[in-house]
Amino acid sequence: MDLQVALIFLQQGIASGLVSGSVYALLALAIVVIFKTSDVPNFAQGEVFMAAGYVALYLFVFQKMPIWVVLPATLVVAFLAMALFRRFVLDQVAKSAKDLVYLVIATLGLSYVLKGLVRRTGFGDTPRSFPALVSTESVMIGQASVTMLDLTIFGTAVTVMAAFFWMFNYTKTGRVMRAVGMNPKAAQLVGVDLRRCHMLIWGLSGGISAIAALLISPKILMTADMGSIVMLAFAAAIVGGFSSLPGAVVGGFVIGIVENMVGLFISSRAIVLAPFLAILIVLVLRPQGLFGGKLTIKKV
Amino acid sequence: MGDLLEIDGMSAAYGRIQALSEVSLKVPEGAIVALLGSNGAGKSTTLSTVSRLVPVTKGRIRFAGEEIQSWASHKVVSAGVLQVPEGREVFRDMSVRENLDMGAYRRNDSAGIRRDLDKVFEYFPKLQERLQQKAGTLSGGEQQMLLIGRALMAGPRLLLLDEPSLGLSPVLVQQIFAIIERLNKDGLTILLVEQNAAIALGCSTYAYILENGEMALEGASAKLREDDSVRRTYLGG
Repeated sequence: MDLQVALIFLQQGIASGLVSGSVYALLALAIVVIFKTSDVPNFAQGEVFMAAGYVALYLFVFQKMPIWVVLPATLVVAFLAMALFRRFVLDQVAKSAKDLVYLVIATLGLSYVLKGLVRRTGFGDTPRSFPALVSTESVMIGQASVTMLDLTIFGTAVTVMAAFFWMFNYTKTGRVMRAVGMNPKAAQLVGVDLRRCHMLIWGLSGGISAIAALLISPKILMTADMGSIVMLAFAAAIVGGFSSLPGAVVGGFVIGIVENMVGLFISSRAIVLAPFLAILIVLVLRPQGLFGGKLTIKKV
Repeated sequence: MGDLLEIDGMSAAYGRIQALSEVSLKVPEGAIVALLGSNGAGKSTTLSTVSRLVPVTKGRIRFAGEEIQSWASHKVVSAGVLQVPEGREVFRDMSVRENLDMGAYRRNDSAGIRRDLDKVFEYFPKLQERLQQKAGTLSGGEQQMLLIGRALMAGPRLLLLDEPSLGLSPVLVQQIFAIIERLNKDGLTILLVEQNAAIALGCSTYAYILENGEMALEGASAKLREDDSVRRTYLGG
């Protein structure tokens, strides 16, 4: 491979990596914000993403609703589904079992329920595609070829993530969320309604997953198994340190870029290995993840 | 004056483990009442039932005339019952300022909040010096001050103090208790849980002694100080 080609590959790898990384970053953010506040890795995040994609598909393609109804409706459905799951399933489980493992198993349960529901409707039988709302014609940035759709995906994801950071770090609502993550007992003692706060966090996490689904579904073939993409989001979260929001985002982009580079420079068959390789390297060099801060020992 | 807090025949349990059985106590408005007892006697549990973090299985809790035993914890805070927990329960990664702001979480009267912030600085000038410092990096005594300050920011009527002397040097204990007495003089009603019986009986007017989740003894603090069995068990002679 001569230098010229390598340079083109490099640019293309970064550009494509940032686009697929946008989706990983959004999902990783959704996972991490829940983990930070509930200590629960939500294994249903991928299925929430998948189901949100199908809700949008159903409303837009089968019910022929206008897009300005479909987009907010999808977000609201995802928000409510996650908030109600938190309130009526997890809070209930937590009442009878103190151990967090039960909550984690409950999220696994949700993932199977959602997959089952989508399979039952029949929409998941054949791979479908969500019509692109933005032009898919190529434009060149440097020597990388991207589409308007790609730019929209990246731009929207970055905007959503920036808005979420701002909310989390600079508003009263965000401060309460951070407080709950740091010390739930103290939060209750100053009068925080934990139940409502958790519902809001899980709801927002669902909304972010839905945004990821809306962004990427025109680019992929939708199936009931598309939620398995969440593996990459978990990889991103781990690379970032699992409890850092900026870490999740950077981790998402890192995984996206590594994946594309491996595909371009090594072999497309090696792509599935790339995220795990990235986790390995990061964990060996920096066990707490890129943004994990100092290693702390937690008393149990 | 009437009783601000009245606990009547209250039992509480953690799962199947009975923690309190038929505990009754009264805190008159404007008083400091001490709740004493050895480790594991149920003192902190009593405070946490009032704060509505531990479910009540039997009996009643009345605050300012209202029955609160089935309220949610945030509603109790809004009503003005603030617990100062033991064990440095600050928001570690937040600044001192953010911790104090969190104390005023349920309030919207910015003028009142501002006034209470000034009051907190008056009681604890140290906190004003360390406003931007992360709470987790404060010393033990400063964290205790921050906890009390955070509770004051909620504009409390009743303060539930859990072991304020725990892990502090004698000098700091003196300082903290001087402030507790000042808070009381300024009108705050206080229910004080302590293992340090000598200092607690010194600043309270009335005291209760818990043993194994049951009320074993009660009386005026001055009387209890003279009581032989109390002296032997709790005052070391």
